[in-house]
Amino acid sequence: MRSTSTYRAALLVSVVIGIAVTACHSRKRTDFSAEVKPILNKHCISCHGGVKQSGGFSVLFREEALGNTKSGKPAILPGHPERSEFIRRLTCKDPKERMPQKGEPLTAAEVDILTRWVKEGAEWGEHWAYVAPKAVPVPDIKVENGNDIDRFIIEKLQQEGLKPSKPADPMTLLRRVSLDLTGLPPTPAMVTAFTADHSPAAYRRLVDSLLQSPHYGERWAAMWLDLARYSDTKGYERDASRNIWRYRDWVIDAFNQDMPYDSFTIVQLAGDLLPHPTNAQLIATGFNRNTMSNDEGGTQDEEFRTAAVMDRVSTTMEVWQGITIGCVQCHSHPYDPFRFEDYYKLLAFMNNTRDEDTHMEHPKLRLYDSIGLAEVSRISEWVQQHGNTAQVADVQQFMKVLEPKVHAHDCDNYINGALYDTKYLGVRHNGSCRLPAQAIGGKTQLLMNYWTGNKGGALECRLDSLNGPLYFTQALAPASDRTVIAIPLPASTGKHDLYLKFRNTSLKPDDPVCMVEWFAFRDDLPGKGQPGYDAVNAQLLALVNTHPEDVPVMIENPPVMQRATHIFERGNWMVPGKAVTPDVPHSLNPFPAKAPRNRLGLAEWITDPANPLTARVMVNRLWEQIFGIGIVETVEDFGTQGFLPSHPALLDWLAYQYMHEYRWSTKKLLREIVLSSTYQQDATTTPALQEKDPANRLLARGPHFRLTSEEIRDQALAVSGLLNRNMHGRAVMPYQPEGIWQSVWSGEYWKTAQDGNQYRRAIYVFQKRTSPYPSMITFDGSSREVCLQRRIRTNTPLQALVTLNDPVYVETARALAQNMQRNGRNDAAACIRWGYHAAMSKSLPDNKLAILQRLYGQALQQYKKSPDDAKKLLQCKETPPQMAELAALTVVANAIMNLDEFLTI
Amino acid sequence: MAKHDKLLREANEETLRYITRRHFLLDCVTGLGAAALGSLLTGCGSSVKPVDFSADPMAPRAPHFPGRAKSVIYLHMAGAPSQLELFDYKPELQKLHNQLCPPSLLEGKKFAFIRGVPKMLGPQAIFSQHGESRAWVSDHLPHFATMADEVSFLKAVQTDQFNHGPAQLLMQTGNARLGRPSIGSWVTYGLGTENSNLPGFVVLTSGGKTPDAGKSVWGSGFLPSVYQGVQCRTKGDPVLFLTDPDGMNRDLRKQSIEAINDINRQEYENFGDPETVARIAQYELAYKMQISVPDVMDISKEPAYIHELYGTQPGKESFANNCLLARKLVEKGVRFVQLYDWGWDSHGTDENLAIDYGFRNKCREIDRPVAALLKDLKQRGLLDETLVIWGGEFGRTPMQENRDGKDMPYLGRDHHVEAFTMWMAGAGIKKGFSWGETDEIGYAAVKGKVAINDIHATILQQLGFDHEKLIYQFQGRPFRLTDVGGHVITPILA
Repeated sequence: MRSTSTYRAALLVSVVIGIAVTACHSRKRTDFSAEVKPILNKHCISCHGGVKQSGGFSVLFREEALGNTKSGKPAILPGHPERSEFIRRLTCKDPKERMPQKGEPLTAAEVDILTRWVKEGAEWGEHWAYVAPKAVPVPDIKVENGNDIDRFIIEKLQQEGLKPSKPADPMTLLRRVSLDLTGLPPTPAMVTAFTADHSPAAYRRLVDSLLQSPHYGERWAAMWLDLARYSDTKGYERDASRNIWRYRDWVIDAFNQDMPYDSFTIVQLAGDLLPHPTNAQLIATGFNRNTMSNDEGGTQDEEFRTAAVMDRVSTTMEVWQGITIGCVQCHSHPYDPFRFEDYYKLLAFMNNTRDEDTHMEHPKLRLYDSIGLAEVSRISEWVQQHGNTAQVADVQQFMKVLEPKVHAHDCDNYINGALYDTKYLGVRHNGSCRLPAQAIGGKTQLLMNYWTGNKGGALECRLDSLNGPLYFTQALAPASDRTVIAIPLPASTGKHDLYLKFRNTSLKPDDPVCMVEWFAFRDDLPGKGQPGYDAVNAQLLALVNTHPEDVPVMIENPPVMQRATHIFERGNWMVPGKAVTPDVPHSLNPFPAKAPRNRLGLAEWITDPANPLTARVMVNRLWEQIFGIGIVETVEDFGTQGFLPSHPALLDWLAYQYMHEYRWSTKKLLREIVLSSTYQQDATTTPALQEKDPANRLLARGPHFRLTSEEIRDQALAVSGLLNRNMHGRAVMPYQPEGIWQSVWSGEYWKTAQDGNQYRRAIYVFQKRTSPYPSMITFDGSSREVCLQRRIRTNTPLQALVTLNDPVYVETARALAQNMQRNGRNDAAACIRWGYHAAMSKSLPDNKLAILQRLYGQALQQYKKSPDDAKKLLQCKETPPQMAELAALTVVANAIMNLDEFLTI
Repeated sequence: MAKHDKLLREANEETLRYITRRHFLLDCVTGLGAAALGSLLTGCGSSVKPVDFSADPMAPRAPHFPGRAKSVIYLHMAGAPSQLELFDYKPELQKLHNQLCPPSLLEGKKFAFIRGVPKMLGPQAIFSQHGESRAWVSDHLPHFATMADEVSFLKAVQTDQFNHGPAQLLMQTGNARLGRPSIGSWVTYGLGTENSNLPGFVVLTSGGKTPDAGKSVWGSGFLPSVYQGVQCRTKGDPVLFLTDPDGMNRDLRKQSIEAINDINRQEYENFGDPETVARIAQYELAYKMQISVPDVMDISKEPAYIHELYGTQPGKESFANNCLLARKLVEKGVRFVQLYDWGWDSHGTDENLAIDYGFRNKCREIDRPVAALLKDLKQRGLLDETLVIWGGEFGRTPMQENRDGKDMPYLGRDHHVEAFTMWMAGAGIKKGFSWGETDEIGYAAVKGKVAINDIHATILQQLGFDHEKLIYQFQGRPFRLTDVGGHVITPILA
């Protein structure tokens, strides 16, 4: 394959030069990360590493490498390459002994490096990305009209014998920075203002106003939602809707408010664990409620709860640390210093939340209306007046999220009953089930959520066996909707198995007595016996029985419900191994001394300035968004298998600035980047530059790459004047072709908006995991199944079909054409110039005008000949004045909106 | 030394770069072997000389070794048909009909819907042996039975997912969770496709629904989206947005693409970005696709005997039509054609999903077309180079379903992971062969067990790939279709 041959060729060159270089240089100490580790990764680690340890030998960690192998002796003796089996095996002639057993032998240069390394003591070095960035001096380089970023960039360009490009023309720059910061092209007013402003500060003012635009938050949220795997549906078979758009709005607002990235991190990972969390802080925890859940009949909730928790671990490490931890769920990392146990220690942080893959997606934050809120404050006042702080917290939490509660799926030992559709408890007449190990000691009330259409039902509960002591009996009145009833509980102590027997003699044998969704064991409200107590109790039950708007959030298990975390043997959740407690990988920064061992502590560890990765990963991501390629190109992998940074000092300088100078302000960082002269360069490339730096990593020219799927939609709507700039709210359904949604058992359907919402920005378009919005997915949008760190831009004929033919884009062309006609009057050339300017914010050069005029002429001739076609294209019933001209302009507008320059930043 | 490091590192990165998505296309654009593509649009007033490029990530590529298969047609019966009513003949099970299931079959097992102790359900079909291979095929598939000598049965396929969504994902992407590339994506990533005027990986659905796991079963996962399956539809545009807007005729579309590309050529002269060149090519391809896709999707011009053979009715969304389309597509050089037919989930909850009613109708719907597909491929000499695969995402239990611990209104079987039947044919697969056995009631695989990634390894093998070497670097590790498993099922290879 080509990759191999390229590799070999390059390696050959490197070896030849390498030998020459070694020969004429005094021997410097070997560099573990740069020299040794790549050889170990390439030749040794697939058999002697995290996955396999053939012969009992591994080169993943130093203590493993120096430890005894199967032979009983260590393979590496530091300081003694001549006595080290490790070295002998690399060069010996016997093919049975020679390593690597299956691959090509190591080159002389490689053996030389390893030999010297063992001689020097076989020290392990740290991978660059696992050492915290320090303050970096800015290169002492003169730049005109630039900032410190340019000093780093130009230093490197000089080393490579390259020069920066001239500045881009102002209108190109205006469009570029507007799309980059807000995801929208400049408005006509911005174009006019910027054209008129000749002061040196004009660009700076423009940047500042764009950073203040509310559309800034929408643009950067679009990036974040890929990481958060945000979707308006739950995934898997039924893929039903999920009402979590408030999380999306929270992200938009957080970017707009320039919430510092450390706070932004903490609230999303652990907002619920902050003292007295606000609703916004709870909604932010939706980050990790965006995991998929499975409603398919017959699925085990625990299996998919576990899958969700594992996804949270992987996603958190990918998003904030740029490291892939997924493979560690089965074995130690093959290349990076993460042990098998590390994964489960991280999982232990995440494994104690109340969500359990239930159909109703509990826990959900209840967003009461004003009447509900008044009730909440009345009840809160009572509890504050009569109870202690713990009681206040408990009651307030229950009113907010109805937690802690126990789900029907915890029941077992069914007799004549079942978990219906693997969701709800349904027991038939004289049947029973067990609700095991409930901490009912001291509890006085059982709240039960149930429904039934039948009269005459009853529930009897016995303790610890079917014939055990009677705990309570309860009549079950008909309740067509889900209803929560309060069942008084007799005094008890400790944990017990509850045996639930259901009766209703009037039913057919196959009918369940009722359906039960959940149980909650509660204490009495404080102030029992005081006047007004009964009323406040009734108020609370009534409040629980209201159905306010809600949104899924994270809620931690109370101590009595803590889950133990076990290692899963080979990653299989069905085979738990030894128990583990929460901890972070020791190869990274230490866990902060005072931090709690829960998600909040984990978030504090991530945002600790000592963490080597958090700031680097985020600044690199922002850089990638602006320049189309990261300083570390593999934005998703900062490990030893990822790419090295093109500008390591710049990366560290940016990371350090971000943390210490900008105080995690993303706007300040972006401002610095777009104010650099590097960013403002012209994008023209030359064959020589293209040859030397095809991906523009060195930035000898300005960025030039295709817009994102969101930008392509938003731009078309904006330049045609159709864009509805309303923000926030429920997802919207713009036009999509018939027959796209065919989900099994879902009953949901696509209803095209007609009220102007069809022209909302892409970020508000309904995201269905198993059936993504076609034009978005075609332009490399994410289907949001899992966290996506980097969208890979493709260039396909199906994309051309979208912008040529998708009725959404035909409609934008029509709208643009109407504006062209209105503004250009009867002069075709003026109309075309106006349209191009509206699209590109700059004037149309004459040679391009000639081509568009040719097309206009061809179209006009066609529509003059066939007015019916013009009518169809314009979708009008009447004949508008100058119909053929308008239709021809529509064809031209459609062409303009398909130009490479229009689709490219 | 610094120079040496750098070179070593660069060599290393070069390998990575080649296989990371960002560079894939760029490399194609600027890489070696660039060739001018013939174009329907050349010579139409372009003032710029044609540019050499090879921007097509779907360009045909050589596999690891010469493969037996050039194309694949995969017939997936979504919902999972019962092996016990089709191919896995179990007279012993008949004797146990209606008796309570022995506890030994239930201990420690989990089922999707069976609760407590169900009854055994004898085969609801009449079996007989067919062809020289004496293959057991039930009377539900009389046409297919005549082709039994063409196929290799796999009677002991096993999965570990007993819910549709995850099981279909495992079957089609090698992993039960969402986010991995489908088989067709891997294959087109590895091989490209022979006909750039058609998508390389085409998906056809019937049965009124997409599969349970949705479009993810033909998604490209972490591979570039260019490798995702393209759903070709019977109703509406055969490919989304293929049709020009109402009121724009072909001439005008051609003229507008010429204008777009003329300006793009100027843009390329100004900026020199090879992506622009790639875009010019994609617009030309789009234009060609607008002609070639409707043409290949139109079965109305097929001769009467072909319609008779398949039982096709032009204009209808049916499995039969899709089988005929599959043949037409591979004939035109499409690399991977994936059919999904929904409605095989015979739990017994209603008439359509009953082993004794709906299931028979489903069999009737596929019997003639499947036999016709094999026959037609054979008579055209295509079967030797087309791998045909038939199967569901799991099997059905020898027990009768008793959802929620109740008797069901119709006869039905629950999801079963421990043994089920698939078959493969064509492209170097043994003819008239059967591999693998289940116990006397069809519950457990006893011999010749086949894992899902073994199926994948075998598909790749027949296409000329070592399944352990067809890899893609993503998130810091190499991924493959067979993940960490997979053994080629050599006994069925001719």
